[in-house]
Amino acid sequence: MFDWLANPNRFNRITEKIQPYILLISVITLISGLYFGLFDSPKDYQQGDAVRIMYVHVPSAWLASFLYFSLAISCIFYLVWKHPLADLVSSSIAPIGTLFSALTLVTGSLWGKPMWGTWWVWDARLTSMLVLFFFYLGYILLSNAFERKIDGSKTASVLAIVGLINLPIVKFSVDWWHTLHQPASIIKIGGPSIDDKMLLPLILMFFALSFFSLYMIILNVKTKLIEKKCEALLLKSNLEEISKIG
Amino acid sequence: MSLKSSFIQIFISHIKREFLINFRSLVDVISIISFMILIVILFILGIGPFEEKLRLISNAIFWIGLILAIIPSLEKTLQRDYDNGWLDQTITSPTPMELILLSKSLAYWLIVIIPLVISLPLFIVLLKISLKLIPWLLISILVGGLSISLIGIIGSALTLGAKRGNILLPILIIPLIIPILIFGVGISEAVIINESPVGNLFLLIGFTLIYLVISPFISAFLVRIAISR
Repeated sequence: MFDWLANPNRFNRITEKIQPYILLISVITLISGLYFGLFDSPKDYQQGDAVRIMYVHVPSAWLASFLYFSLAISCIFYLVWKHPLADLVSSSIAPIGTLFSALTLVTGSLWGKPMWGTWWVWDARLTSMLVLFFFYLGYILLSNAFERKIDGSKTASVLAIVGLINLPIVKFSVDWWHTLHQPASIIKIGGPSIDDKMLLPLILMFFALSFFSLYMIILNVKTKLIEKKCEALLLKSNLEEISKIG
Repeated sequence: MSLKSSFIQIFISHIKREFLINFRSLVDVISIISFMILIVILFILGIGPFEEKLRLISNAIFWIGLILAIIPSLEKTLQRDYDNGWLDQTITSPTPMELILLSKSLAYWLIVIIPLVISLPLFIVLLKISLKLIPWLLISILVGGLSISLIGIIGSALTLGAKRGNILLPILIIPLIIPILIFGVGISEAVIINESPVGNLFLLIGFTLIYLVISPFISAFLVRIAISR
């Protein structure tokens, strides 16, 4: 399906063209999203100005889960069709996903302090985000735990796929646990329905952050491709030297 | 002899082999029980000698102790066979690796649950678990132990040949077994407040069945990667 993108040269050519546009879209939506979010959206009737943390918090939570999903999908591509580029993509997604889940936790706790009076609440959503963070961490640790890079990427890809099966169960069971222990909870982001004026910056910020992470992923993959090229050249020159000595 | 019956024979002989290896030394058995007692001691010392506090969290202590006591012995389930070349030999045999690993996890399940079932009365006394919980605890240990050993085989295969695999293993495994803890504690809590624990039990069984299906294939895939090195 993605055969046409699996060729590194073609990938470089295509991304060369679209990369500036991705950055442009990301910057435009970021600026407008921040403007609408910070200046042109109503205060929440209960939360006041603190509700504006939502415009960073919610998009990063969405992205953290979405990026894990795409990480696992690209791991499937790597294991099934053995595209080397798919491995580069998944190992590029991992740090960005980790960052977004960490950002979700940090902004969540910053939001929690004025709203709930504590930095941390063992709420179902926060807990499953913390677990997601550890899935990302496990992926990164495992992919660096082997002598040869290729063993690490294969093994870590399997872990990512197991995580894809397991994460919904964790999410579900944490929700279950939560409803069992503390039935009355006030935590509901934005309430059941959300004002259009609030929805607009939320969507804009979502696009800004996702295009930004797409840009970073492409940049990461390109760096890794150049690294691989350097390694190959180094190997080649070493071999030539050895053959000269021999 | 038909192919099917020979597979079953191989399966049983592998379970026997694993079981004998682990029970001859008794190290695993003793370490699981003593580790769990030590975790209980730590918890009790942490919360102080107040019975009402203990009664609130005794189920959680039991399940956390069970999970933590099992994890250290998981690492060597495959590592030993990998180091002495047994896995390299068996992968060339016509028996599918999936079958061997399934028998390994079942044998490991027996090794884990036998000491736990034997020492269950001890923990009931130590943690002051109410007596009406006993049948439910037995069932949930049986089912939960199976899913822990199935996931453990995956974790053991993941860290096969990894640098500092013994440190890595808990980080990889614990996020995967969170549902077992939640469902396991849920069963006990439901019994305590006189509700039907069947819902949580079925969830635990369903979780175990998912891993019963996927664990042999995933771990066999990983073992093949490890051996091709």
